[in-house]
Amino acid sequence: MSPLLEQFLSEARDFLQGIGEKLMELEDAPADVELMTSLFRMVHTLKGNSGLFEFPEMTRVLHAGEDLMDAVRQGRVDYSKELADRLLDAMDFVGMLCDEIEAKGGIGATHAADSARLAESLRQLIATVEGAAAVAVAVALIKTVADVAAADGRPLPLADIPEDVRMNAYRQACDGAVLHWLDYAPAEECFFQGDDPFFQARGTPGLLWGSISARQPWPPLAALDAYRCALDFHLLSAAPRAELDEYYRYMPDQVRMVPVSPLALALPAGDPNGGPVYEDFVVDAMKLLDAGHIEGLGRSVHTLLELSSPYLWLSSALRWLLLLMELAPEDRKAFGTLIESLRHLKAPQWADHELDGTANTAASTIAVTAQESPLTPEEAAALQALVAVQREILNLPVAASWQMGRIKGVAAALSGCLKASGDLAAVPGLEAATATALEEAATAPLLLWLEGKFEQQPKSAVAETTAVATALATGHEVASERPAAALPVGAETEGDTKLGFGRRAEDVAAGPKSLKVDQTKIDRLMNLIGEMVVSKNALPYLAGRAETVFGVRDLAREIKSQYAVINRIAEEMQDAIMQVRMMPVSFVFQRFPRLVRDISRKLGKEVNLVLEGEDTEADKNIIESLGDPLVHIVRNSLDHGFELPAVRLAAGKPAAGTLTIRASQESDRVVIEIRDDGKGIDPMTIKRKAYEKGLIDEAALERMSDQEAVNLVFASGFSTMEVVSDLSGRGVGMDVVRTAVEKVNGIVTLDSEKGKGTRLRLSLPLSMAVTNVMIVESDGQIFGVPMDSVVETVRVPKSAIRTIKKSLATVLRGRIVPLKSINTLLGLATAPKANANDELAVLVVRLGDESVGLLVDDFRETTDIILKPMTGVLARLVAYSGSALMGDGSVLMVLNVKEIL
Amino acid sequence: MAIAYKKSLATFSDVVSVEEAEALLEWLQKKTTARVDLAACTHLHPANLQVLMVAKPAISAWPNDAGLAAWLATALKN
Amino acid sequence: MRRILIVDDAATVRMYHRNILEAAGYAVEEAVNGVEALEKALQAPFDLYVVDINMPKLDGYGFLRELRGQDFFQAPAIMVSTEAESSDHQQAYVAGANAYLVKPVKPDHLLTHVKLLIGVAA
Repeated sequence: MSPLLEQFLSEARDFLQGIGEKLMELEDAPADVELMTSLFRMVHTLKGNSGLFEFPEMTRVLHAGEDLMDAVRQGRVDYSKELADRLLDAMDFVGMLCDEIEAKGGIGATHAADSARLAESLRQLIATVEGAAAVAVAVALIKTVADVAAADGRPLPLADIPEDVRMNAYRQACDGAVLHWLDYAPAEECFFQGDDPFFQARGTPGLLWGSISARQPWPPLAALDAYRCALDFHLLSAAPRAELDEYYRYMPDQVRMVPVSPLALALPAGDPNGGPVYEDFVVDAMKLLDAGHIEGLGRSVHTLLELSSPYLWLSSALRWLLLLMELAPEDRKAFGTLIESLRHLKAPQWADHELDGTANTAASTIAVTAQESPLTPEEAAALQALVAVQREILNLPVAASWQMGRIKGVAAALSGCLKASGDLAAVPGLEAATATALEEAATAPLLLWLEGKFEQQPKSAVAETTAVATALATGHEVASERPAAALPVGAETEGDTKLGFGRRAEDVAAGPKSLKVDQTKIDRLMNLIGEMVVSKNALPYLAGRAETVFGVRDLAREIKSQYAVINRIAEEMQDAIMQVRMMPVSFVFQRFPRLVRDISRKLGKEVNLVLEGEDTEADKNIIESLGDPLVHIVRNSLDHGFELPAVRLAAGKPAAGTLTIRASQESDRVVIEIRDDGKGIDPMTIKRKAYEKGLIDEAALERMSDQEAVNLVFASGFSTMEVVSDLSGRGVGMDVVRTAVEKVNGIVTLDSEKGKGTRLRLSLPLSMAVTNVMIVESDGQIFGVPMDSVVETVRVPKSAIRTIKKSLATVLRGRIVPLKSINTLLGLATAPKANANDELAVLVVRLGDESVGLLVDDFRETTDIILKPMTGVLARLVAYSGSALMGDGSVLMVLNVKEIL
Repeated sequence: MAIAYKKSLATFSDVVSVEEAEALLEWLQKKTTARVDLAACTHLHPANLQVLMVAKPAISAWPNDAGLAAWLATALKN
Repeated sequence: MRRILIVDDAATVRMYHRNILEAAGYAVEEAVNGVEALEKALQAPFDLYVVDINMPKLDGYGFLRELRGQDFFQAPAIMVSTEAESSDHQQAYVAGANAYLVKPVKPDHLLTHVKLLIGVAA
């Protein structure tokens, strides 16, 4: 299988899972547009992916699903449960195809009919509005995009906005807001799709002002088609770009957003009143300005304003001047520009103002747009390099068909650089240059602008990029050699710079926060730390030898203290690696909403699923081993535990049952509890049936407690009895559950109350990587016994051991415990050795509900080991669950207690 | 009905939906001296707005809703 | 949120770049070759393209030429490749790239260029 196909399959499974989840969520929130969109996107991408391969059966179904979701998303088709069912069916089908591709490398032709049927069933749900209209929409869309693109670069009609609104906007910009001009050209057919673009426009976040215009000259009234949208909307907004993007996310192709530099709003307007006659004022004002006598300037502006009619162009210019003096007092040059504009009563050319702008302007721009973060030295260096590259691109020979796109790309890149460096005021100038460049289909206007804006770099762009890349890689400061005028220079070290400018620390810290790692790499780490733990355990032996063999006590002591340090580090390291392997139970839980929904619907039952503690974590292997048993338990509960709604109502319970799956951590174990409020298990029925089937005898029947009876459902052989499963409400395959859970050293318990419900509790170790074993000695060898199966160690006098029917047994705390010699079990001939007091060492182990005593020669210490499974021919030795390397270099064989008994 | 027609005056109220546009268009085609009262209108679907923009009836009252009035002024004044 | 399209046939590389960009708050989409990238860009133009050179079906140069030949919003493009020869840079710029970075790209380096070319951090 090709890697791409592999990638596709794994990706497809993720998508199918995601689609299932989203559909579930949508059931609770059918009007959630965001959900709908993400659902659409998933189906869409999956379809797109499938189209990369020759899987027409799959693509057909997905395509239909995509169209359906698109219709739902646009409100042409209502979301319904039936729709969800059909989509889920379709996704199951796709999942099945994925399985088949994985197994056989392709899809059998037999699925064509199913595929067609499923696609048809999806398409049936799509309303009739479709058809010819779809083509028209597509055409209109392309047209709109072209229109918007054509509009690019033209100066914005900012003067249309009333002065008070512009002033308000300017104020907001000074408070840190970024202003955007939006042109929103809704699709002609949008009314048919239920859209109200006017409503959309009115709801624009941060809306300061809006206007409506006709797209083309109107036809006569008689010929008007009221249902074809021929309106364009123009808006000024102070909302962050991200918010605007989000708001218009469904129509990015119909909206053009242009950042507006605050100064560009300072456009005086009004009655010229006979033309420019304010020469005296201009001369005086400029004198005051040049002398830095701002207060005086303010006074004379106020005076003239009071004397003049507010509707004059003059008054408007003066009002702007006062506003600028208030909000941008450093930008003297801007004052001058406004005052000069009175000579001719022509709106100031703010773009020019930016173009030959000096540090003065730049500073004020940065102050005005405080939100925009200035650049770090690295960024400044990269900026210089990028600008140089753009210059080089503009100098390239003409590139025929894609020349215009390349120019636009360069313009976009330069615009990004301006905005990133907080130089928003320069954007209109760039836009103007771009527009000219596009009109003339030549790069010269942009090159000219570049020259004005950024000083010429002597080096070639390529060398530049490389130099910066190398410098960054080696941590050199390039910025100090090449400071940009508008950027803060002089920070001594990187650290200082970061601290110096509030936002920057965040910018830099934005590295990747999570990393996907191949599991084999983690396994390798696991093995290495295992070896480390073992090697470190050699140190105490060494210390012992230093003392006993070589007689150097001090050295022995030093080795021991070093050992303590290494031991601590090794343990922490082990713990850290374990943490990496941990994953949340939600990995397993996520399949249940769908499962419960499907099964309960099929059975005509109503069940609410409650999931709790989904972020509880455990080792990956444990989590993965949980999947099948849990599904089994949940299915059982739905099949047999919950009653039909009518039955529940009759029993005085709510019609809908509740199934709770809760995960929690209890010390070093993770506990999963599955609780239903169904009919529970009747212990009498179980007992009777077990007795009838010969699983228990009459005595056991009498003696058995209800709890024990209920636990009979775990007995193998019980599961095959259909009758009982029906009567008990439990039973099918419960032994399978028990086996699976016990395989990972888990314990499963069940309690149930007739009529009230059933509770299953799975208790599993958090991690299986480290095993705590007790070391025992027998016939001169040592063996490990996992501590989870050890109940106790006792020494039993030989006299207390009886032989019952050829088997050994003894009485411990009033209970008969059968005894087995470990030597016999392992096929060794030697008899167990007694100690000086003629007592035998008995290791009592748990075997399901029973206890068994293992006769060994002696007990040793308990220790943590990294258990390695037996490999090769040894794997057939079922008596051992694995081996571990000990600190002294010897190998410890760990017994598989269940197998040998 | 979000539009009440009385002699040559059409009074808009609340939200005027897309369905109203057809009738509005027909009505305006018949009346030569139509007037519209938008005072109680809070929103109108742009289909209706287009009709008003083309037919240019006299606006006897602008919407009380200042936001809507500002928008409509850009489309209907002059 | 700013949308970035990662065009690369290597899933690992896509994942690597995605991790970096998503952690920084950008919305990332992926395409496995130039054809898919072009399809995606035609549905809705992105704010930035991060493009590999060697890809099946349509390589990075081809994709950029096609993209730049379209009449819609032209976002900046970063070409990313293992080739460090200056002739490769040149070819990338001719095709329509606005920056050229050599693989493997250090996270900070990539983010710096993305921020500058898009105009804002995320």
